[in-house]
Amino acid sequence: MKRPICFFVCLILTLLLGIAIMTNPTPAEAKALNFALRGNPDTLDPHKTSGTLTFQTIKSIYDTLAEPDMNGKIVPALAERWQVSEDALTWTFFLKKGVVFHNGDKLTARDVKATFDRIMDKATGSPKAKEFKSIIGIEIPDDFTVVLKVKEPTSPLLASLASGWGAILPKGLIEAEHDFGNQPVGTGPFVLKKWIRDSQIVLVKNNNYWMKGLPKLDEISMHIIPERAVSVQGLISGQIDVAYLIDIEDLPILETSPDVKIEKSMSSLIQVLSINCSNPILQDIRVRQAINHAIDKQKVLDIAYNSGKPIGTFMDYSNAYYKDFTALYPYDPEKAMKLLAEAGVGQDTVFELFLPQNYEPHVKAGEVYQDMLTKVGLNVKIKLVDWSTWLSDVYRAAKYALTVIGHTGKLDPDGTLSGYGTKDRYVRWINPRAAELIGRARKVSGFENRKRLYDEVLEIMAKEVPFMYLGSSYRHTAVRKNVSDFRMTPKLDTFDFRWTTLD
Amino acid sequence: MHTHRNTIFYLSIIFLVILGAAAVSAPLIAPYPPTSQDLGQRFKPSSSAHLLGTDNFGRDIFSRVIFGSRSALLVGIVAVSIAVTIGTIVGLAAALSRGYIDNFLMLLMDSLLSFPTILLAITVVSFLGYGLLQVMLAIGIIFSPVFARLVRAETLAIKTEAYVEASRSLGSPIVKIVYKHILPNILGKVIVQCSISFALTVVIEASLSYLGLGSQPPDPSWGLMLKDARNYLVQAPWMAIYPGLALALTVLCFNILGDTLSEKLNPKL
Repeated sequence: MKRPICFFVCLILTLLLGIAIMTNPTPAEAKALNFALRGNPDTLDPHKTSGTLTFQTIKSIYDTLAEPDMNGKIVPALAERWQVSEDALTWTFFLKKGVVFHNGDKLTARDVKATFDRIMDKATGSPKAKEFKSIIGIEIPDDFTVVLKVKEPTSPLLASLASGWGAILPKGLIEAEHDFGNQPVGTGPFVLKKWIRDSQIVLVKNNNYWMKGLPKLDEISMHIIPERAVSVQGLISGQIDVAYLIDIEDLPILETSPDVKIEKSMSSLIQVLSINCSNPILQDIRVRQAINHAIDKQKVLDIAYNSGKPIGTFMDYSNAYYKDFTALYPYDPEKAMKLLAEAGVGQDTVFELFLPQNYEPHVKAGEVYQDMLTKVGLNVKIKLVDWSTWLSDVYRAAKYALTVIGHTGKLDPDGTLSGYGTKDRYVRWINPRAAELIGRARKVSGFENRKRLYDEVLEIMAKEVPFMYLGSSYRHTAVRKNVSDFRMTPKLDTFDFRWTTLD
Repeated sequence: MHTHRNTIFYLSIIFLVILGAAAVSAPLIAPYPPTSQDLGQRFKPSSSAHLLGTDNFGRDIFSRVIFGSRSALLVGIVAVSIAVTIGTIVGLAAALSRGYIDNFLMLLMDSLLSFPTILLAITVVSFLGYGLLQVMLAIGIIFSPVFARLVRAETLAIKTEAYVEASRSLGSPIVKIVYKHILPNILGKVIVQCSISFALTVVIEASLSYLGLGSQPPDPSWGLMLKDARNYLVQAPWMAIYPGLALALTVLCFNILGDTLSEKLNPKL
């Protein structure tokens, strides 16, 4: 009895499937770019996170008063120009006229004031609020002029205003306590159309964007693809037009595809093996020097980080403030063994090497480090921890001996160096001279003047080795041949789709 | 048909014996230390120097597969022992006491059973911390209800048999009855269940290691090897094939063993 029913059900389902296939409409040809994003941003609110993915995504949605150009130089954006007073205590910004937010509100000085008030408001909980703490007063003499009063000369302030966390929001919505995290409203080149968590972020062109003729794309589909292999296959088959952070192991496959081109550039990352200087044994500079001598830096860069350039101090390779100290501690296992013998450190001392398990390159590097350190006679145990544990135990509480991490580049060197030399930083390296120089460089203006101070800081850090400085890694971006002018903002590593075109 | 089945049964026994022997004598068989890296020999396919090729750190895959069998079997033995011990004690206590204690114990076991296995394993491991020892404990706890239910049901059936009643009326202490009559009678079913649980244990250990909760790098574990291999499926498929094959064969053999034993020990079915 049951058989005929089953048969009919199958038959009907097959027919339905056939109809479905035949009536499937072909999508209309719009200039939509398919982009592979490595993970889901935690929020799209610029003032409530320090997540890289958020800032990479919202670069297309919000604007800042100033922004870095492709050379890393800070140029006008929402502010068409600015002045700094003689005593460096008053900053005056003149806003562009005719800029409108996605909701139709016109940009005025009141929005800028409301935005900075929001960032500095404790209730917002902005992790970047401390960068704005020198601001003691905001005045708006007219609709398009904003005057910032600072309590002491603060050179790094401009960089903070040009970074994603200084994004300008409309006053009306701030007062209405709008949920910017899910429904961002800015002045940026694209408007959020939909965000399906862990799947897709769709942005559509802002037709009223203040840069004439831009953006050139109609739509961007950001596909959230954590699996490397999936984005690689997507690039080859054409489902994905652009993917960043291509792994070096995937290059040979992509290079054989005639439709894909690879763009290689230097990232602003400072890849390190961090050493806890408050550890009774690692306090001894000879042990830290031995660790530096034990690592074949170029090899680790090649294997774990898509290759790169060794650095030798705590500044990224392409930074204007970078100075070469790589000759101080070259790869020399024998010297490392000698130093360890002098310091009396042997197999009986176990060092725990903490690795953030969600960052595969760091885990890979950690495994190579362990092997290289074992070869000079150190006893290193790997401990994988999840990201939140890493942040709380390692980064905040400094309960570790060794760890592997990459420090992201900053527009201003103070962002990289502030706090080092004091117990505030997780390496617990105390050096009053370095701390004092970093503090002074913050108040001094002019590249040459600051560089003189930072040169000395970097030299002290290079010699005293609170880190094993590995290097700055290369970044490989893969784009299909029909895509041109996909840009990544230097230092901030954010995506800039404004000039991007699709043939 | 039957001889064919027997052949498969003996083949799986042979495989498991070889595996056990390899695990025990791993340092003698493995041509390289399992964690030593040779960065000049990365991603090498099978050759005479490296029988099953090398991985992304130039480690010998053959050595790692052999050493990986240690953690797989060790977890299996320890976890199943824990499960059998807890399960038997709870099952016996429940069946012999009946009443409130029985209800309470079985409620506890049933609530453990109602969780999806992997989810429960992840929960337990995140409480206890990552590592092989914690994984053994977690799996042991998770599998104990299966044994508790089995032991309880069998004990209840045997308890009412005439010879148990007789022994009891002669004044034998309960411990003696358990030892002399109950345990020997349920042993067969427990062994079958052990074999099936063993297969599951190996899979769960691999899954937890794959998720980064079990064995920690650079220790060799099949799950961890598969995790590493995932990124190099196209360039170096052998990184995934061999540990995957070892895992699949081990599980298959334990399942065949369990099925066959079940047929042989419980002829009624």
